[in-house]
Amino acid sequence: MEEMTDINRELMLDANATAGLLYEIFGTEMTASPMECATCGYESEVGDLLAFTQGPGIVLRCSTCENVVLRIVQTPEAIYLDARGAVYLRLAR
Amino acid sequence: MKQTLNWQIASVKDIKPETADVKSFTLTLPAWMRHRAGQHYDIRLTAEDGYQAQRSYSIASEPEREGEVDITVERINDGEVSTYLHDVLVPGDRIEARGPIGGYFVWEATMDDPLFLIAGGSGVVPLMSMIRHRAAAGAKNPTCLLYSSRNFEDIIYYNELEKLRSSNHGVQVFHTLTRSQPPDWKGYARRLDQEMLKEVAQPLGRSVQVFICGPTLLVEAAANALVKIGIRSDKIRTERFGPTGG
Repeated sequence: MEEMTDINRELMLDANATAGLLYEIFGTEMTASPMECATCGYESEVGDLLAFTQGPGIVLRCSTCENVVLRIVQTPEAIYLDARGAVYLRLAR
Repeated sequence: MKQTLNWQIASVKDIKPETADVKSFTLTLPAWMRHRAGQHYDIRLTAEDGYQAQRSYSIASEPEREGEVDITVERINDGEVSTYLHDVLVPGDRIEARGPIGGYFVWEATMDDPLFLIAGGSGVVPLMSMIRHRAAAGAKNPTCLLYSSRNFEDIIYYNELEKLRSSNHGVQVFHTLTRSQPPDWKGYARRLDQEMLKEVAQPLGRSVQVFICGPTLLVEAAANALVKIGIRSDKIRTERFGPTGG
């Protein structure tokens, strides 16, 4: 517990917290969707990602290596999505 | 299984105080869809100048109830949405809602592994939906709730949990109170730790399915301790909430 006084860590959520926004972007329920981290190769589900939602954008990180998987920025006109940190995301038809 | 997720206008049917800071709201939904226990609704408020604030709230009720859901909301002092829900909203009011949302932190009565639910504070809400679903569906899997609150008065759903515990339906309930305890308190009186988790988890065996919901630090501590006592990390599902502005 001692090392966890980092404020970002305390504000950290799961990607569940961003489920509504992910649904808006992808048009389908995403938190149970399989995905692979491009940095460490960890295969999991989107809901397992760590979510940092207090900044101007939303950052989702791998729960294993903690590298960035998805970044989402919303403006009034558009949503920007940077998915470089994922090898793939699976969208259910 | 594709469905659309649209904002709808929910009506507030009932408001029930649970503790000094926590209320349950029964919402009737025109486009109601059966949820899965553990899912949430997004609630959106719009000010006259167009400013919008949106929060996610876990569903507390069982999916078996049709046409409506209960959400249980803790009032966060400087929160934009929870203060409105607590201080302004009255039965008959309408609010924007979309859901049910989420497929990761869900439990269904057909999953028959022993169930270990770990809650911190209002993290008990989605777990209560699971417990109510389990009862409504007549599931028989051994189930245990370990629930950490600050004080006795802060325990949400206390009476309902006591009833479940004494009705012999295979649900065990363990409380821990971290800040103060009543004089005759028989439960735990410390923060969740490895020893406590081991004591409570052991009778459930190795195939146990775990759901942890609470403040981030509690979730981290509980998940790490469970892995140390030999529970596979892929059997542990977590939902963290932090001071998200409520």
